[in-house]
Amino acid sequence: MEIPYIVNARKDTGLFNAKIAIWLFLASEVMLFGGFFSAYVFLRLGADYPWPERTLPVLPGLINTFVLIGSSVTVVFAWAALKLRNWRQFQIYMWITILCALLFMVLKGVEYNVKFHHQAVRLDDYSVVEGHLAYYDGTHIEKNRINIQLTEGSTIVYNNLRFHAKWVEEILAEAKAAGATLKLAADVKGAEGYSDEKETYFKAGAPLTVELLEKIAKAQISARNHNQTLRSKALADAWEIAKPKHPGQSDWEYSDKVSIDEKAIKPKLLTDILGATFKVDKSFEVSFKPRDVKEGAEQSKLRDDTVINGTLLPSPMEFHYMDAIDFQYLVMKAEKKGIKPEVAIANSWLMQNDPFVREIWAWHEAEITKLRQRLKDDYKLDEKGEPNRVPTHKEMYRIGWKEFAKYGEEKHKIDLSGTDKLKEEFMGPNYNARNPDEKEATSHNSNEEASHGHDSHAPLTFPHLSIPREQIGFASKFAPAWNTYYAIYFTITGLHGLHVVGGAIVLAYYLFFGRRMYDENPEWLCNRVEVGGLFWHFVDLVWIFVFPILYLM
Amino acid sequence: MANSVEEIQKSKKTYMLVFGLLLIGTVATVLVATVEALDIGEHGFDKWDAILGLIIATTKASLVGLIFMHLNHEKKAIYWIFIGALLLCASMFAILFLAKYSPIFDNFFYL
Repeated sequence: MEIPYIVNARKDTGLFNAKIAIWLFLASEVMLFGGFFSAYVFLRLGADYPWPERTLPVLPGLINTFVLIGSSVTVVFAWAALKLRNWRQFQIYMWITILCALLFMVLKGVEYNVKFHHQAVRLDDYSVVEGHLAYYDGTHIEKNRINIQLTEGSTIVYNNLRFHAKWVEEILAEAKAAGATLKLAADVKGAEGYSDEKETYFKAGAPLTVELLEKIAKAQISARNHNQTLRSKALADAWEIAKPKHPGQSDWEYSDKVSIDEKAIKPKLLTDILGATFKVDKSFEVSFKPRDVKEGAEQSKLRDDTVINGTLLPSPMEFHYMDAIDFQYLVMKAEKKGIKPEVAIANSWLMQNDPFVREIWAWHEAEITKLRQRLKDDYKLDEKGEPNRVPTHKEMYRIGWKEFAKYGEEKHKIDLSGTDKLKEEFMGPNYNARNPDEKEATSHNSNEEASHGHDSHAPLTFPHLSIPREQIGFASKFAPAWNTYYAIYFTITGLHGLHVVGGAIVLAYYLFFGRRMYDENPEWLCNRVEVGGLFWHFVDLVWIFVFPILYLM
Repeated sequence: MANSVEEIQKSKKTYMLVFGLLLIGTVATVLVATVEALDIGEHGFDKWDAILGLIIATTKASLVGLIFMHLNHEKKAIYWIFIGALLLCASMFAILFLAKYSPIFDNFFYL
């Protein structure tokens, strides 16, 4: 069957059909991205925290803009080559387009990857610390775990229905290593099968295993099913008896008189298992990822509802490299309370406890004074005697990694090659080159040294920082969870990235499988490439807005 | 729609010209945002930087739409579709006027 209007225009629209179709699709895309951009504006206006403006790396974004604009030109040239029936040229331009798409995605991937490995912490006093957690110990590890001490007599209470087998095994492994055992503290009464009315016992003293927990969960499910069936049946029986006693009445008129005979049913019910308590007979420690446990001084709760009655040990979050200090949020909160920013900063946990923070903050304040003076000199005062230009909040209250790097260069005369500096624009700070004398292995082996690593002799641009667990308000990688800015950033750029991938696949299909159509009906392929190109231009067009809005504003 | 060989050769020159303009526009966007001497309004980011940045972006987007996507000589049907989408999009931004703060007239952008 011949498909109509693939080459010739329809009389009513004056266009071939695919073109109408792609424009309808692009119209829906305009609304989709428009919706996300308006969401961005709403989030920014409604943000109750300092919006991280101009925080993304500009250079990769700029290169990506060039790449996409370039590919937009090559795709339209590929179409023109087809129109001129020059297959070879079409191939060349299409190849360039697809390689551009690839390069774009690689740069985007690098950008995402850096974010996913970069840690942010908001302390309880709303100061923010950023940096890198991973220590190198043969493999990379992060010293960011909740440690709990179990002693003789401490208990772990498992939920009656659910548990995460991996965590059970982890606890068992720790116990085994310390020579400790976990035993069922008291008998647990439970049924074995659905129809089995006999109750079996899980005897006190049974050792903790995944199988035992499975059996207990199964017994609880059986008991619940059994009890529910009994109750349903008893209620049905009650209605059977009640019906003849109320002739001519609707059910609802006497429903309050129908009820289960609790006394008769009670002996037949099986016991509800409330949970299984296991007792520890010798001290050992367990540790979990912060996201898996809600910690408390004497009682912590895992995400699978397992309650651990043990003492919380010091569980600091250890920054291997601290690379930014941000007081913007703290200042915002302080100003709302009418506290002076300087006072709030001076009283912050970081300033009170970390000599390096005090040191770099003093340097930073001097820099800001210089900047303020320079702005006054360059841009003069207005008619009221106020300076025309003053440092921004971000400049005043945030020390980013570039300031850290500058301070390190000034203080320790650390010099990086041009290539290394260029690499930093893409990959973030180069910790190794800027902490030259630091030995990775020793910093891990001697814990003490690492956490008190502000040795004035070692030239550390990015020093260690140990944050006690109780100071941490919220912590996250630079992922959507960190704040609404990163949420909308990942949504918009991720969706745009999917469009790049999808568009590239379609264009690659024309390139690699278009030859037959080109031989049979070149104008048809030409129209297809035009339609695919229209989509590609749209992807470029979205990026033209994404780049300034997300990277430069 | 360009169909003859001469027309296509001619439009290729236009594409190269637009390519150049887009590159210049991109560099301009970055410069006005990063070079202090070109910073309009107050020091650092403020509403004027947002307005200027969006004007440049809109100009670039219009060039892509008009020349690369051939909107400068398209059939009526396409204009209707496109204008409809733009109107719906604009209405989504129009909800902003129901917001408590105006992005343009209230000094709310920094903080």
